Amino acid sequence: MSQSYNRGTVEDFGRWRDFSAGMWAWIFHKFTGWVLVGYLFTHIAVLSTAIQGKDLYNGTLGGLEALLVVRFLEVGLLAVAVFHILNGLRLLFVDLGVGLEAQDKSFYASMVLTGAIVVASIPTFLGGKLV
Amino acid sequence: MAEHYSSFERKGSRWLLQRVTAVFLVGVLAFHFLLLHFVNHAAEITLAGTTARMSSIGYFVTMVLFLVTATFHGVNGVYNALINQGLDGTQKQAVKWVLVVASVLLVAQGTRVALHMNGFL
Repeated sequence: MSQSYNRGTVEDFGRWRDFSAGMWAWIFHKFTGWVLVGYLFTHIAVLSTAIQGKDLYNGTLGGLEALLVVRFLEVGLLAVAVFHILNGLRLLFVDLGVGLEAQDKSFYASMVLTGAIVVASIPTFLGGKLV
Repeated sequence: MAEHYSSFERKGSRWLLQRVTAVFLVGVLAFHFLLLHFVNHAAEITLAGTTARMSSIGYFVTMVLFLVTATFHGVNGVYNALINQGLDGTQKQAVKWVLVVASVLLVAQGTRVALHMNGFL
């Protein structure tokens, strides 16, 4: 049966040492979710340059991609997206009652796999023409 | 045995839709990253290439569905996070309608952009 679970106050950072794996998973999922929804609005704003034609669209996207800081931000976005996907799959299984007894291990697996995918992707993300 | 817990009340359409959209988004978000960072490098994207991709009806429909489901999933997640933090009463109603209006505007603008990208507008 569904029942509420008292997580305490998230803002009470002083008790972070007491957090369990499931608590960290919950916090990271919230954080990555906020980042992704914020990025969604930004992404549509940038892509809206397509309405003004190819010069503005190509110039805006090319200009952003020419900045090293944007490449690093994209790596960060990848990390956020990959973790949200993998932990989201974990949550779907937990919701179905599958793997409840190993939910802490599946959180650690999500973290490790996210790290591996992000590290392996860095050459591709940082490659190509820069200013 | 671990007890079930979730940020959502485990009932109702918002709980179910959050999970249904999650299943769709897992695949499409991964596809989006692979296509626009690995198959086509982000630094080499031009409007001509974007138009070529968006001219495929299957890709166009997938991207519009991506926009709609991501908007719902993201905004519904934000709404629930705020409710978890104790949002209630008039504030809850105000936030709900701000988020609804923001979602409608985002989907409308995204669809408009998509129609420009595929040359329809």
